[in-house]
Amino acid sequence: METRELFWEITSLGHTLFFVVAGAAMAVAAAGVAWHVWRYARARRSPVPVHPWRGFWRMVFDVFSQRTVHRRDRAAGHAHTPIMYGFLLLLAATSIITVEYDISEPFFGFTFWHGTFYLVFSLIADLAGLGLIVGCVYMMWRRWKIRPAKLAYRREYRGETEERPRARAWLRDDALFLWALMLIGVTGFLQEGVRLAMDQPAWGAWSPVGWVLAEIFLGLGMDEAGAAAVRRANWWIHGIAALAFIAAIPWTKAKHIIAVLGSLSTRDALALRRLPKPALAGGVAAEDAESDVGISSIGQFSWKDLLNLDACTKCGRCHEACPATASGAPLSPRDLILDLRSHAARSAFRPGANGPSLIGDVIEAETLWSCRSCGACMEICPVGIEHPPMIVQMRRQLVEDGNMEQQLRDTLDMIANRGNSFGESPRSRGGWTAALEFPVKDVRAEAAENLWFVGDYASYDPRNQDVSRTVARLFRAAGLDFGLLYESERTAGNDVRRVGEEGLFESLAEHNLEAMAAAEQFDAIVTTDPHSYNTIRNEYPDFGETAPIRHYTSVLAELLESGRLTVVKPLGKRVTLHDPCHLGRFNGHYDEPRRVLELIGCELVDMPRCRDNSFCCGAGGGRIWMPDPVGKERPAENRMHEAASLGNLDAFVVCCPKDMTMFEDARKTSGHEDDFVVQDLAELVAEAIDLKSIDLKEVPALVDRITEAAAVRIADAVADRLADRLADTVTERVVSELAERAPTLAAAASQRPAPAADAAEPAPEQSDAAPAAGPWRAAPVSAATLPPYEVPEKDGPRMLVAVKRVGELNPEFAIDEDANTIADEHFEHELNEWDEAALEEALLLTEGLGAGEVVAVTIGPEDAEDTLRRALAKGAHRGVRVWDESLRDADPVTIARVLAGVAAQESPDMVLTGAQSADLGHGATGSALARILGLPHAAVVLGIEWDGGDAMTVTRELEGGMRQQLALPAPALLTVQTGGSTPRYATMRMIKQARKKPIAVVDGAGVGLDQAGAVVRRLYEPPKSGRAAMIEGDAAAVAKAIAEIIRDKRGEV
Amino acid sequence: MAGILVVAEHFDGAMRDVTLEMIGAAAAVKESLGGPLTVLVIGHEADALADAANRAGVDEIVTVTQVDSHFDPALYEEAACTLAEDRQVRLVLIGHTAAGMAFGPAVAARLGSGFASDVFGLSAEGGEPVATRSGYGGKVSMDLAFPEKPVIVLTLRGATFKAPEEAGSASVQPFTVEFDSVPGAGRHIDYLPAPPADVDIGKAEFILSVGRAVQEDKNLPQFEALAERLCATLGCSRPVADSGWLPKAHQVGQSGTIAANCSLYLALGISGAVQHLAGMKHVDTIIAVNTDPEAPIFNVAHHGACVDIFELAEALEREFN
Repeated sequence: METRELFWEITSLGHTLFFVVAGAAMAVAAAGVAWHVWRYARARRSPVPVHPWRGFWRMVFDVFSQRTVHRRDRAAGHAHTPIMYGFLLLLAATSIITVEYDISEPFFGFTFWHGTFYLVFSLIADLAGLGLIVGCVYMMWRRWKIRPAKLAYRREYRGETEERPRARAWLRDDALFLWALMLIGVTGFLQEGVRLAMDQPAWGAWSPVGWVLAEIFLGLGMDEAGAAAVRRANWWIHGIAALAFIAAIPWTKAKHIIAVLGSLSTRDALALRRLPKPALAGGVAAEDAESDVGISSIGQFSWKDLLNLDACTKCGRCHEACPATASGAPLSPRDLILDLRSHAARSAFRPGANGPSLIGDVIEAETLWSCRSCGACMEICPVGIEHPPMIVQMRRQLVEDGNMEQQLRDTLDMIANRGNSFGESPRSRGGWTAALEFPVKDVRAEAAENLWFVGDYASYDPRNQDVSRTVARLFRAAGLDFGLLYESERTAGNDVRRVGEEGLFESLAEHNLEAMAAAEQFDAIVTTDPHSYNTIRNEYPDFGETAPIRHYTSVLAELLESGRLTVVKPLGKRVTLHDPCHLGRFNGHYDEPRRVLELIGCELVDMPRCRDNSFCCGAGGGRIWMPDPVGKERPAENRMHEAASLGNLDAFVVCCPKDMTMFEDARKTSGHEDDFVVQDLAELVAEAIDLKSIDLKEVPALVDRITEAAAVRIADAVADRLADRLADTVTERVVSELAERAPTLAAAASQRPAPAADAAEPAPEQSDAAPAAGPWRAAPVSAATLPPYEVPEKDGPRMLVAVKRVGELNPEFAIDEDANTIADEHFEHELNEWDEAALEEALLLTEGLGAGEVVAVTIGPEDAEDTLRRALAKGAHRGVRVWDESLRDADPVTIARVLAGVAAQESPDMVLTGAQSADLGHGATGSALARILGLPHAAVVLGIEWDGGDAMTVTRELEGGMRQQLALPAPALLTVQTGGSTPRYATMRMIKQARKKPIAVVDGAGVGLDQAGAVVRRLYEPPKSGRAAMIEGDAAAVAKAIAEIIRDKRGEV
Repeated sequence: MAGILVVAEHFDGAMRDVTLEMIGAAAAVKESLGGPLTVLVIGHEADALADAANRAGVDEIVTVTQVDSHFDPALYEEAACTLAEDRQVRLVLIGHTAAGMAFGPAVAARLGSGFASDVFGLSAEGGEPVATRSGYGGKVSMDLAFPEKPVIVLTLRGATFKAPEEAGSASVQPFTVEFDSVPGAGRHIDYLPAPPADVDIGKAEFILSVGRAVQEDKNLPQFEALAERLCATLGCSRPVADSGWLPKAHQVGQSGTIAANCSLYLALGISGAVQHLAGMKHVDTIIAVNTDPEAPIFNVAHHGACVDIFELAEALEREFN
C-alpha cells in the first residue's frame, strides 16, 4: 500500500532519544511562548480599545492573502508567500503524521496515512518543500547579492561606518533563520531522494522532487549501502534541524510567525488618527501619577506595544518610507522598534536591574523629535506595528522634562498664551477677511450652515491667507453659507498633541468645543486644514460632541459635481498632487482632490510616491515648529526633486496650508523655482470657474464697503487735525489770559501758607503754570502695611521671587488720550521673561540646597493668577497675590513698597526679581525694594553661588559682555538678567496641577493712592518721522536692492 | 532747593560716555530748572577723573574718595543721597546702566523722590522737569511729571543725549562721606572678561546683525557665511547672545557693545528693542529686514523690507557670488 516507513532502521534507543529531543524542543518552544505571554500579561493594559475578534478576520485575510507582504516590495512578497505556505504545509504534514503515529494508531488502531490520501499528501508536501527552498534561495540572493538599502543595519544617520554589536546580532539572526529553513528543506528532500532511490516504489513520481533526486543519485551510481548510510545519518540531521527550529521559534526572528497573529489582530483602526490618552497605571498602585504622563521606561508600554515589537521582521519597509530617515535625520522607525525590542527583552530577563534608561540611552531624544508623525511607517508595516503612538507617548515624557528645542518651547508657550503658533494677537485671527469684498458671518452671533474652522496657517500666514480668501470667494460663489468663530477659535491642537504636550492639547480641545457649543446654530464644520480636520474629526469626540466635519476638497468636489460651481474654462494644465498625510493616509481621502482636478480639466500626473505612499512635507508632528538641521536635504526639498522629475509640470498642487508653506519654501531652496509653481487646489478651481471677475451683483456692496472705509479714514484724519487746531487755539487763549493775570496769581501763591509736612493733610491743587514742590525733604519710603495672611513655618531657606504679568501690545492698539491709558483689551499677557530667569535661579538654588521653599509673589488682579500658576507650575511652592485697584498703574517704587510689605511677613532669606520687565522696562523695582528692606543687593545678575550660609558670590553682567564677581552678605536681593540659566518649561498639565498649590490673596489696602513716583502727563505713539523707505518685492528683489546699497556705500559701481 | 546733581559713572579709570551725555542733558535744562549743575565723582582717584567731567555747563565737581574704584551700589547710594541732601538738589541724574540700575532706584526710595528710569527725553515746563520714556517695546511714549516732589531722581538712557563738546570751568570740591558705616556693601572679587571673540563690534564699519528670527543656533552658520561673503562683521541682538548662539562680543546694544564706528548696518530679523537701538541707531545707513512691518527697527532704519530673512540671506549670497 502506498505509504512510507517513518522510523527506518531506527533502534528503540534511537526512537526514545528522538522522542526525548522532540519533547525537549517543544518544551523550549512552549516555554518561550509562555514567557512572552507572561510578559504581555504583566504589561500595562492598552490605552486604546482592542477588538481582537474584529481584527481576527482581517488578520486571517492578510496572512493568507499575504497582502501586506506584497506591498511596495513585490519580489519579496512573491518569495515570502511560498516560504510561508511551504512552512505551514510542511508543518501541517508533520502534524498529520504525528496524529496518526502517536495518537490514532496506538490508541484507536486507526490509520489513514496511506493510499490516495498519502499520494496527494506526498505531492503537496513535495511542492511545499520546493516552494520553501525556492523562496529561501531568492531571499538569500536578495539579502546578500542585491543588498537593498533597507536591509542594512549600519546607521549612517549616526555616522556609523560599521554595524554595532547589536546590529551584527540581527544579521546573524536573519542568516540563521534563512539557513535553518534551507537546511530543513534540503535535508528533507535529500532524505526523500535516498529513500526513493532505495525503495523505488511505483508511486515515486507522486513526490516529484524526491523522485528526480533519486534518479540523479542512481544515475550518479549511488549504491544501496551509500544510500542507506546517507539515509541513516540524514534522518537525524533533518529531524534535529526541524526540532531545533521549532524550539527556536519564540526566541529568534521566527517568532514573528506567532507574534504576527496577535499583532495583526489587535491593530487599532484609529491609530495615529486618534492618539491614546495618557495611560493609567494598570494595577501597579505604586506608580505615582506623574510617571503616567508619558513613557519613560519600558515597563510603561502596553502589552499591545510589546506584541508589536515582537512581531517586527526587520523588513525595512518603514525605514524606506520614513521621511525623517530619508532626509538623514537621526531616526529610523525600524531601528527604533528593534532597539525597543532588545531593551524590552533585556529588561524582562533582568527586572529591577539598573539598566540603561529608556530615553537617552536606548532611544535618544533627538530620535524622538525627528518624527513627523506622518504615519508612513505604520501604514506600510506588514505586521501591523504602530510606531507613531509609541513615539508620541515617549515625547510626552520629553515635554514633561522640558527636553525640547527652544523654538518648540517658545511656540508652545505662544500657543498657551495666545492660542496660535504665530504669537499673533488672537484678535487678528479673522483679519484675513478684511480684504474680502463681502462680510463673513460671525457664527458666534449669527447662525450659518457651515462653521469654517480656519486653523493657524490659513489664518495668519500671508500666502495662506490668500488661499483662505479664495476659498471664501468660492464658497460664496457657490452659495455655501458659512461663518467663522473669529478670535474664539484657537489652534485645533492636532500637532500640539503629536508633539506630546497632551495637557495643552486638552485645553485647546476643550476651548474650541466650548466655543463651538456657545456659537449659534451650524450643521457642519468645514476646514482647509487637514490637521484641524483630523483632530476635530477623530480626537475631539473623546472630549465632547462635535458636528460632522468636511475637508474643503470634498466640499469643492461636491460643489463642482452638483453644478453649484461651473467650470467655464477647463485649465488643461499638467499638474501633480501632493497627498497631505493627515488627509490621505490618516483619513483616506485620496480621491476627492483628484476628482476636483479632473473636473477642472487638469491632467494629473502622480508622483511615484503618491496616495498611501505620499511623502511627508516634513511639517508634521510639530516639526514645523522645530528647525531642520542646516546642510541636509529637507523632506520637502526631496519632494520637489521628485515632482520635477515628472517633467513639464505647470503646477504642484497642494490642499493643506502647511504644505503650501513648506513647498513654497522648498521649491526655491531646491532650485526648482523655474520648473513649476506651488498652487492650492482652490486657486486652480477659482481659475477654472473664472472667479477673478467679481460678480456684478457684488459691486454695490463692495463700493459701499470701500466708501465706508474711506469715510472712516477721512473722518479720523479730520478729527485729529480739528482737535489739534482746537487745542492750540484754546491753549493760546488760556495762556494769554493767564499771563495777564499772572501777577495776581503769584501774589496769591505767596500769601498761601507753605504746605504742611504732615502727609495726612491733602496737598493743595497746583496749576501747571506755576507748580511748586514743598520744601526740600528726604522722605524715605517704607514698606506698605498689608493685612496679615497665613505664612507657614520655615523649613529651610525661603526665596521670595517677584513675578510680573506683563502685557504685550497688539499691533492695532489705541491709546485713550483723555485718560492716558490703553485699554486692557489691547494687551496679551504673559509671565515676564526676566522674572522667569529669576525664578529659575531660585529653583536651582533650592534644588541645590535640597531644602527650603520658593515663594512667588505678584501684584495684579485676578487675571494675573495665571501668571502665578505658571510660576507655581515650574516649581514655586506657594504664591502670594496682592491687589488693589489703586495699584493698576503703580510706579516701580510703589510696587516695591507693596513687595516690601509681603517680605515683612515672609522674612525671606533671599529676594529675587527680574532685572527689568518686558513691558515698561523700568529696571527699578528690585533695587528700590532692596533699599526699603535694607538688604544688600546687586543688579543685573547672571549667576548665583550660595550654600545657604552667610555669604554668597554673584556674577553681574556689565556693559560689553564684561562680568563682575562680588561677594555679598546674605540675606540679599538680586535682580536677575536673562541668559544665565534656561528657564524650565511648564506643561499645561503642570499648570493645571499647580491649582492645588496655595495662593494667598492679600488686599492692597489702597497703597497705590499714595504714589511715590511720577504722574503720566501724556501717553502717545512716538512720532514715526524717521520711517524707513520700504523696499518692495520678493526676497530676490530685496536682495538686489540691498546689494546696490551696500555696493554704493562701499564706493563700488 | 535747587540745582542738578549728575552722578558720574566711570570704569577702569575712564569716564563713561553716559556721564558726559547726562551733563549735556542737565546743561540743556539748567536754565529752566535752575542751577547749579553739580557732578559727583566717586572713586579711588576721583580727582584724576574730575577733569574728564569738566564740560561746558558744569558748575561744580564734587569728588568723594573711595578705598578702591570698584562700583558698589551701597556706597554710590550713600554718597548720592548725602550730597543731594547737603545741596538740597532738585534733580538727580544717574545713568540707566548696569550700575545705575543697581543704585538709582534705591536713591529714589531713600529720598522718597519723584522717579523715572530709562529716560530718553528731558525738558522743563514752567520750571518743572518733564521726563520722556517709553514702554511696550518702544510702541508707546510717555511724558512724566513729578508734582509735589521736591526732589526727582531720573536714570537716563545712554547714547541718547548729546554730550557737550567744550570744556567747562567748574570748580572741584572734595566731599566727605562716611563709608565705613554703610551697611550692605559687597566685596569686589574680580572682573571676568567677556568671553573671547574674534570680533570687535566697536571698531567694525559694516555690521550684519541677526536677531531672534534666526530661531536656532543651527541656522547661524548661514549668516556667518553671509557676513563673511559681504566682508561684514557679524553682530546680533540680545536674545541671540542670551541663547548662547553667538558669543556675547557679537551683541550690539546697551548691554552689548555700541557700534561706534559703524557706517553701514544691516539688521536681519531684529525687531529693535530700545537697548539694541541704543547701540546702532546713530549709524549713517541702516537697512532693516523684518517680517513685521510694525517693528520699531523701521523707525530708525533708512531702508526697510518685509521678507523672510532666510530667503533674503540666500538671495544675497547669490548677489555677491
